[in-house]
Amino acid sequence: MIAILEGSLDTAAVPETEAAMSPLLDVAGKDIILDCTNLQYISSGGLRIFLGILKSAQAKGGQVYISGITNDVRAVFAMTGFINIFKFK
Amino acid sequence: MANNVNLDAHGQELMRQYRELRPALEQLATQAYDQLRQALDEQGIYVTAIEHRVKTERSLAGKLELKGAKYKSIDDITDLVGLRIITFYTDEVDKVAVIAKRIFDIDWQDSVDKRKLHELDAFGYNSLHYICRLKTGGPRFELQMRTALQHVWSTMTHDTGYKGDVKIPREYLRQFSRLAGMMELIDDEFSRLRLVLADYRRQIQSLVKSGKLDEVPLSAGTFRSFLDLQPFDRLNKRIAAINQAEIYPVPLMPFLPVLESFGFETIGDVQRFIDEHSEDAYQLTVSQLAITDLDILSSSTALQNLCLVRVLKQGGGHEGLKAVFDTINGETPANAMLADMILEQAATLPFMSHN
Repeated sequence: MIAILEGSLDTAAVPETEAAMSPLLDVAGKDIILDCTNLQYISSGGLRIFLGILKSAQAKGGQVYISGITNDVRAVFAMTGFINIFKFK
Repeated sequence: MANNVNLDAHGQELMRQYRELRPALEQLATQAYDQLRQALDEQGIYVTAIEHRVKTERSLAGKLELKGAKYKSIDDITDLVGLRIITFYTDEVDKVAVIAKRIFDIDWQDSVDKRKLHELDAFGYNSLHYICRLKTGGPRFELQMRTALQHVWSTMTHDTGYKGDVKIPREYLRQFSRLAGMMELIDDEFSRLRLVLADYRRQIQSLVKSGKLDEVPLSAGTFRSFLDLQPFDRLNKRIAAINQAEIYPVPLMPFLPVLESFGFETIGDVQRFIDEHSEDAYQLTVSQLAITDLDILSSSTALQNLCLVRVLKQGGGHEGLKAVFDTINGETPANAMLADMILEQAATLPFMSHN
């Protein structure tokens, strides 16, 4: 299952993105790829969405991979320590 | 009816009773399994397997053909429902037995502790068999409790026909006996070793708690015990206060190889590392987070920045930083970018001017 994220996942975009990505919470036993190739920014709210998907997937035996991450977004993951939680492709 | 089995009228009557009882037996097997599973979970006892089954018609027919006259009614056959618990260690068999006694009614007349029979060549058959009944009543069922090695022995000897109908020559029986002795020895040694290691862990935990950290060698076990004391908690809370962030707990064990790569040999070395670099790690984090509104951090933030600061203060530079990221994130070209980012963030911090 692949989700493609584009633009800026700032605080304002969180509710819409969360709703759009909610079907990923029901994915069982399959890996999920979050394609961040065109994601320019991620806020704390965005990190929480990613975290929710990761926890849900792991509980159901799946894994979450982040692919195509930009340097700016990777920097956020590094500063918050979330870089140690997710797997990157 | 199973093929090639001839039952007399009594045997056929028992089979009829069995078929009538079958749905209740299926329900009993599930109920007994659920009760046992729940009780083991509550007591924190982990076992390798819990199996449950209702005796098949074919298996029962075979049994009745051989010794059907022994049973007056279907209720006299105690293994129509069977549960088997396979534990890791011998002492856990006794723990499971205590639990079974608590949650089921045991029919002591028909229960057998084969471990006490001390048969010279019967290691695998040394399991504990209880004939049980649910506290709410109903048919009896058999509960077998054995270790993983006893289970392996039973399976292997069954496969080799050890208890089959062909009389095995004495020289081969002796080889079975040698193996039985060896397996029992291994089982006992595993239990003994577990006790020794548990004792060692307690000693180490005691040293960690009493603050005698220089006497505690750095290893996976001791680092885990050290983490129980939440040694990075204070710095994490200070860091979290920068943006009023919540801290999301994550495992810190992946950082152990980094600490080992620093040449730390004891937990005391790790404690000194925390004491020595906390202020600078905090300053580095301020330089990272103060210009953001990030209000969620993982609990690895403090330790990660402690490691990065130490590398910088030791003059490790770009390669040293990259090596830290390579160790905790796995090697990737992006780690070079992260190393450059840290160098930039730390460039104006006071501790850098001392290098």
